[in-house]
Amino acid sequence: MASLSLEHIYKKYPNGFEAVKDFNLEIADKEFIIFVGPSGCGKSTTLRMIAGLEDISSGTLKIDGKVMNDVEPKDRDIAMVFQNYALYPHMTVYDNMAFGLKLRKVPKDEIDKMVRNAAKILDLTQLLDRKPKALSGGQRQRVAMGRAIVRNPKVFLMDEPLSNLDAKLRVQMRSEIAKLHQRLGTTIIYVTHDQTEAMTLGTRIVVMKDGVVQQVDTPQHLYDSPCNLFVAGFMGSPQMNFLDVTVKVQGNQAFLTLDGKDIPLNAAKSKALIDGGYAGKTVIMGIRPEDIYDDDDRMQKAAIEFKTKINVYELLGAEVFLYFDIAGTPVTARVDPKTTARPGSVIDFTLDTEKIHVFDKETEKVITN
Amino acid sequence: MISAQIVKSCLEELTAITKVEFCVQDLNGTLFAKTDGAEVPEESMIVNFCRQPVDSQIIKDHYFFKIMEDDEPVFALTAIGNGEYTMMVAKIAVSELQNLMQAYREKYDRNNFFQNLLLDNLLLVDIHNRAKKLHVNFTAPRAVILIEIETEGDNVAADLIGGIFTAGNGDYLTEVDENSVILIKSVNAMDDYQTVQEAAQICVDMLNTEAMLNVRAAYGTIVEDLRSISKSYKEARMAMDVGKIFYAQKNVISYNELGIGRLIYQLPSNLCHVFINEVFGENVPETLDNETLSTINTFFDNNLNVSETSRKLFIHRNTLVYRIEKLQKATGLDIRVFEDALTFKIALMVMDYLKYLDAKDY
Repeated sequence: MASLSLEHIYKKYPNGFEAVKDFNLEIADKEFIIFVGPSGCGKSTTLRMIAGLEDISSGTLKIDGKVMNDVEPKDRDIAMVFQNYALYPHMTVYDNMAFGLKLRKVPKDEIDKMVRNAAKILDLTQLLDRKPKALSGGQRQRVAMGRAIVRNPKVFLMDEPLSNLDAKLRVQMRSEIAKLHQRLGTTIIYVTHDQTEAMTLGTRIVVMKDGVVQQVDTPQHLYDSPCNLFVAGFMGSPQMNFLDVTVKVQGNQAFLTLDGKDIPLNAAKSKALIDGGYAGKTVIMGIRPEDIYDDDDRMQKAAIEFKTKINVYELLGAEVFLYFDIAGTPVTARVDPKTTARPGSVIDFTLDTEKIHVFDKETEKVITN
Repeated sequence: MISAQIVKSCLEELTAITKVEFCVQDLNGTLFAKTDGAEVPEESMIVNFCRQPVDSQIIKDHYFFKIMEDDEPVFALTAIGNGEYTMMVAKIAVSELQNLMQAYREKYDRNNFFQNLLLDNLLLVDIHNRAKKLHVNFTAPRAVILIEIETEGDNVAADLIGGIFTAGNGDYLTEVDENSVILIKSVNAMDDYQTVQEAAQICVDMLNTEAMLNVRAAYGTIVEDLRSISKSYKEARMAMDVGKIFYAQKNVISYNELGIGRLIYQLPSNLCHVFINEVFGENVPETLDNETLSTINTFFDNNLNVSETSRKLFIHRNTLVYRIEKLQKATGLDIRVFEDALTFKIALMVMDYLKYLDAKDY
């Protein structure tokens, strides 16, 4: 059992720099929580405060209800995995995994049991006698994780553990980590700047920027209902398209005027804009690339149509990315590979108006999702 | 000096293989180490044996051997058993222990050599001679990485780092005080500072993960020969200090990237006081409250852009302007003007430095 509670956590350095501001989060037992955000957003600092490797300037950290602020890192029952793992080159996989336990003076037979158990979980049993140079990149990474697993901690903290691996191996290791979480049944807090990693691994995601938590939610909800412009732009690849539009209101119906055309909104979105007093104001419209269509079926049912010239066409096999401009703003669309669009060609396209997000231009907060 | 524990563990391994029991005593017959099943011969027997000009002696089922160091006996080994087999095993044990002692002495000498080198305690001619004797390349690019342990540990830092960076690769590990470990990292002629940065980061990450120790690393410039090692060490020490004062959020600091902190660190404290008095006069902002400090830092981070800063701070633009004007009233500096902002930034850093000096004196 390991639940964590972070209450009003701040990290302020002596030179006045505030790395983390008012961080609040409840993490349930066995959760796989992801801290995601651009570099310098305070995610690693938060992780290091949980580990005890950084002092908490103010606020309370509890593990299983017990205040941990002043507990020594080694007594917190936490294990960490970093991107800069180094294996002892002259030691076998077994000795590499056992080394930390030997230093802690754990009895030999207990070490043996723990190492073999971790090796079984990580599918390393056949490799226990090998030296690091005889292992592949993925196997080495598994050994590095094995060193954390043997300690049988309450909580795993992982700080960008896959950053040093190539793209293919990263995808493979991602699924290995997901499986590992199921097998171990332990609480994992995972730090990454890669939103794909965050979306595929986490049960909940904490999006951070400039030391402040922007949104905490499930991957799907975060993607569908971002709370502000930053979260909307950060989650999803290619990122959401943002366009300046003007709000036009006729009775209970709101429209977004883009490139001289009025995009009708549904009742809920209309109400949010009218109630917010946005009539006649400029707001930011967000639309994800996959919510833009150019196929005949959609065009026939379309409530609104635009015409544009394609700048770039990128075929990715199962999908095509089209790059073009609307009212001088670059836009990306993810369409079916059967598209007839090619660079230089002029096409008609439409938007799924149900999937439109609207943001306040000043505060950048969402008005309606 | 080799420890009794190491000798005991070496003998126990031999006993497990050969089934011969051993005992090691010093020249006065005092027990140094023995295997679990061995009897300890009387002190007088050992003293007598050591006085005789022979290397070995057999009395009943006791085989006595002298363990030599630089042609001088230092210990006596007794093997208990019968026949040629025991004799042969005892010879192997003596050879093993002599080699082990030699290796330990070299390691100790090497450690001592590097400690003296770092602290500038050696003459140039001694550096050459001792490096040759200890098989250390005089000319090779190296950088000194200083690892400071902030939390109290079980002294495992050296063991952990020593396991990765070994003498076999030209890397040497030593300690000059109880809170830090020094890694003299060998680099290839083609390597740049990225290699040193990675090595320093590995040290930090390893100590964080394996020992859960809070550590900070700093490294000096790459030097071309042993003579300049102390220069790289001093640079690493300075980088560590400057990093603690001005870049507390970093856990790996390079001497080459100290920026303006390096300049301020080298200013005499009286000059710093003169500067602070000149900037603030009577109104020295001894302690700026958190809100003001956070406002100033965010304003600087956002290139003196009022709109961007107010957005980042989640405050109204007018609130930010009010705070800036309040600061202007108190200090006479309008941080919206580049020159004043620059003066304020430097003044804040100088004040951080003075605080550090005060804490050090205290």
